[in-house]
Amino acid sequence: MTRVNGSRRPPLNAVIVGIGESTVGRVPHLDALGLQRMAAANALADAGLTFADVDGLLTTPIRVENWAMPCGVVSEGLGIQARYLATLDVAGASGVAMAHHAAMAVASGQCETVLCVGGQNMLSFQSRGDAVQKLADAGWAHPDFEMPHGPLVPTLYALAAQRHMHEYGTTHEQLAQVAVTMRENASLNPLAHKKELISVADVMQSRMITSPLRMLDCALVSDGAVAFIVTTPERARDLKQMPVKLLGHGYGHSHTYIGDYKNVTTTGAVRSGQEAYAMAGLTPRDIDVAQLYDCFTITVLIELEDLGFCAKGEGGHYVASQGIGLSSPLPVTTHGGLLSAGHPGLAGGMFHLTEGVRQLRGQAQARQVPDAQVVLVHGNGGIIGLHNTLILGKG
Amino acid sequence: MTTSVNPLTSHQYWESLRTQGFCLPQCQACKEFHFYLRPACPACGSLNIQAVVTSGRGNVYSFSIVYRAPSPAFEKDVPYVVAIVATDEGPHLMTRLIKVKPEEVTVGMRVMVSGWRTRDEPAERLSDGVAPPLFEPESL
Repeated sequence: MTRVNGSRRPPLNAVIVGIGESTVGRVPHLDALGLQRMAAANALADAGLTFADVDGLLTTPIRVENWAMPCGVVSEGLGIQARYLATLDVAGASGVAMAHHAAMAVASGQCETVLCVGGQNMLSFQSRGDAVQKLADAGWAHPDFEMPHGPLVPTLYALAAQRHMHEYGTTHEQLAQVAVTMRENASLNPLAHKKELISVADVMQSRMITSPLRMLDCALVSDGAVAFIVTTPERARDLKQMPVKLLGHGYGHSHTYIGDYKNVTTTGAVRSGQEAYAMAGLTPRDIDVAQLYDCFTITVLIELEDLGFCAKGEGGHYVASQGIGLSSPLPVTTHGGLLSAGHPGLAGGMFHLTEGVRQLRGQAQARQVPDAQVVLVHGNGGIIGLHNTLILGKG
Repeated sequence: MTTSVNPLTSHQYWESLRTQGFCLPQCQACKEFHFYLRPACPACGSLNIQAVVTSGRGNVYSFSIVYRAPSPAFEKDVPYVVAIVATDEGPHLMTRLIKVKPEEVTVGMRVMVSGWRTRDEPAERLSDGVAPPLFEPESL
């Protein structure tokens, strides 16, 4: 692999011991803090811990309320006295990044038990139109040189999709198969926001938003929150659940704005994957479940390629021929993802992680992948430019 | 044009667009063009960057026809074509394609800068009152 900054990094000596979510979907009776508290309480109960055991806190910004200092708001709201706290923002990659930062904090002895929590009432707080406009105005397109042309956030991904189709012959039917599979998985997930099954034809006939992407190619807008707990392997011995190890982790950043990036079909996921595989001493063939980030259908195709599960350009063919469902050789995003299980903003990628932990524990019920030993969890921030990859194994 | 060791500012770039025609930031040390503006040359790190008039021509690298406006200000325009143009000088940039039916746009088609100098509708969100360049199908 390409070595950019020195030698191979060692894995972090830390484990995930608790996971939890709030109610997800339309949850009008809870605000952002209420949702986060529900998720945090569920994660702590899952681990056999209480809020008093938490001495580290990581969270990520919300968009619906003006929280000037999210980690301060959450710390106060949840009554946490943290020895280490921070607000992480690598956009959609924040969920995976939280696990990495929490592991660094406990492995270095700065604190013992980190609560990672995020989420908001992104659906109930505002109309869907307001949510779309807020996202479009949030700076994902360059404020001077891109935003004046009127791209939606989905337009920025559509530019990658259109180019992928041009270079590799990828079809919309192939993209649609991703959305169909995510809905199948979500239909088996009691937490999921959208459970009714959809067909390829449904995706292809859904409202055109920004060609070639249609409504069902795009992530949901949901209320919800997610939490997980990271601690030391020593502390984990006294807790309720089988700990889950962080075997490998890596970042890769290819671009911030899509307009000036010259190769939009190959992303920073190449490097984040290489870094994570090297740290874990594993290869793509060792992965049993891939919890890929699925803000749009095209995102999944490109990640399958960049993370080494198929050759560049073959993502569409791979999805259509082998499939990515629960009975396929490599089940992908088994909870149903942002496309169907839930998308409450930056915290949406945390669902991919909690599901990965469930798969390793054997607690994924109807979605359980038999004998899942190694799970890859991938986060993507911005316009398919900032990536991180986490590889999890049984503790 | 003044040579400066300060990087090209956004204001200077827009002023060059307004007074000289379509231009791109060019490093005067290594002669590489880049876009958008950066605080130093992304190829060599030099701060000696100037706005240089270029051909204003390129190929459509990718595009999307937008059917759902991001905000009320764009509703009168839908459907419209947002595109990435690979300029003949190298840099890629986002633009709006005009004077073409959306369904006739293809990846690879030749385009050139269109009427940004005379464009009279107000540009949105731009402090300098200059709309970013729009492109149209190339004519020779």
